[in-house]
Amino acid sequence: MSLELNAVTVTLGRTDARTTILDGLDVTFEPGRMTALVGPSGSGKSTLLAVAGALLRPTSGQVLLDGENLAGLSDDRRAKARRERIGYMFQSGNLLSGLTAIDQLLTAVHISGARPRAHRSRAEEALNRVGLGHRLRHRPEQLSGGERQRVALARALFLSPKLLLIDEPTAAVDRSQAGDLAALLAERAHQDNCVMVVATHDRTVAEAADRVVDMAALTADAAPSAPAGR
Amino acid sequence: MFLALLELRAARGRFLLMGSVVVLVAALVGIVSGFTTGLGDDTISALRRLPASQLVFSSDARSDQFARSLLDGSTAAAWSEDADTETTPLGVSITRGTTHRGAEVDLAAFGVEPGSFLAPSVTSGDGLADVAADSMVMSAKLADEGVRVGDTLVIDRLDIELRVVGRTERSSYGHVPVAYIPLKTWQRIRFSTPGAPASATAAIPDQFSALALRTPPDGASSAALDARYSTTTLTKEKAYEAAPGYTGERVTMNSIQAFLYLIAPLVVGAFFAVWTVQRQPELALLRAMGASRRRLLAHTVLQAALVVVLGTAAGAVLAGAVGLLVGEQVPFSLPAATLTVTMCTVAAVGLAGTALTLRRVTRADPLTMLGANR
Repeated sequence: MSLELNAVTVTLGRTDARTTILDGLDVTFEPGRMTALVGPSGSGKSTLLAVAGALLRPTSGQVLLDGENLAGLSDDRRAKARRERIGYMFQSGNLLSGLTAIDQLLTAVHISGARPRAHRSRAEEALNRVGLGHRLRHRPEQLSGGERQRVALARALFLSPKLLLIDEPTAAVDRSQAGDLAALLAERAHQDNCVMVVATHDRTVAEAADRVVDMAALTADAAPSAPAGR
Repeated sequence: MFLALLELRAARGRFLLMGSVVVLVAALVGIVSGFTTGLGDDTISALRRLPASQLVFSSDARSDQFARSLLDGSTAAAWSEDADTETTPLGVSITRGTTHRGAEVDLAAFGVEPGSFLAPSVTSGDGLADVAADSMVMSAKLADEGVRVGDTLVIDRLDIELRVVGRTERSSYGHVPVAYIPLKTWQRIRFSTPGAPASATAAIPDQFSALALRTPPDGASSAALDARYSTTTLTKEKAYEAAPGYTGERVTMNSIQAFLYLIAPLVVGAFFAVWTVQRQPELALLRAMGASRRRLLAHTVLQAALVVVLGTAAGAVLAGAVGLLVGEQVPFSLPAATLTVTMCTVAAVGLAGTALTLRRVTRADPLTMLGANR
């Protein structure tokens, strides 16, 4: 299983205000390795993750996950790919309001089509591994920003996806926790032999990665004028 | 199911509030339905019980036919002969009387020929066929007002005495309990002038309100007979509209019910529209996690179904309880079949209201998660 982006271009906006965020991008991510995507804000890290995670269809180019071009799939087939093969952790807004930490993980099980009840003890274990064993029944509003990020991470890891896309995992955690999280991510990438791409500004995460890809270098030939936050 | 229940539990306050509204709307529909049926029964149950298929009125009475129509014996005899079907005269009028024990009652006097197919069957006492001219078989509803078999009832201002000889099932006409009396006696009540000398009773005309047909005419068609004898033939069901106030009541109650059927989907639809807008970020996240549109739809419909069905069921229980509480005090009737049909309609229109929000559920865009900031 590998992830290959061939000549991927993403252009957003209407004719009079079109913005090219990724321009003919070619990059390959191997399994069993944690890749850190670094670069300044607006360099297209989150957009690359969205394209790789079948959330955003590129304007042109191919996104090959295990040989299958995600860019050419229908909406329903792309949802199926996300459900079965892709784990995603967003920069923010990851949790379903009103649901406890353990129910966040069991919801992922439910979406995958399995019976949530059968995975309850495993979900408890997964939350324990991110240091949230004491927060199983806490809802998002009862958790700190860092704890919410860790619940989201536990959920993204829970079903052992073949492709794991993580956007700024340490944005809301302190320095010591950032180190632990980065180590956990690297360990899971090796253990599960999955393709893991982590967009980050955090040096700690970049240092824990097996490979660092600089978005500025990747898009050097293009002339991106991305909006803030991209 | 899993996620739908989790969300219901997480937002139980909002769903309880919405469920309460559904309960109240359903209960209100049930109660209005009970009153519609009850008032209808109170107006025409005596007509419904008539073992007749059609009723013939004089053609000059175009409304309130039971009060306005008068047919004479010779017309009826000729009509019957040409129609070649079993017929019998029926007199209907509303009067007042007082029993010898002092109970003052209103009664709808139904004048029938003793021994005819319109003569009532009795649940206690004797029937009209077995007794003398000034006898009366009372509806069970008169018993509630203090009249007993064996009582003598005097028609107010006419001094006509009626002996209560039997009791039949509960029936009423124009919200007044029915008393079945021999046609000759009915004619005395209908055509006597209060205070007139006794000699005047000799001039009582042989007239009545309608001619009841046991089965539709076998000979000439009703239309031909109506044209020939200046009559109007109505089916028994159509003749209900000739009862006083029946059409007005039906239109009023049915209008209230129709408005409630309009309100129910709007209320439920509005709630789920707001609920769907509020949870667009959650829906987007679920889509980003790979939830199919079908799953999101199923989970939304299931939530709506639980709220609407449980709310409607509770509303049905509440409406039934109101029916039990009011008892015989008011005209309220809510048979299980009526209640079931009414509640199924409430549930169906409630769910139809939810359908308006489903499009928005399927349009949740997972890409918005990139800019999420919750």
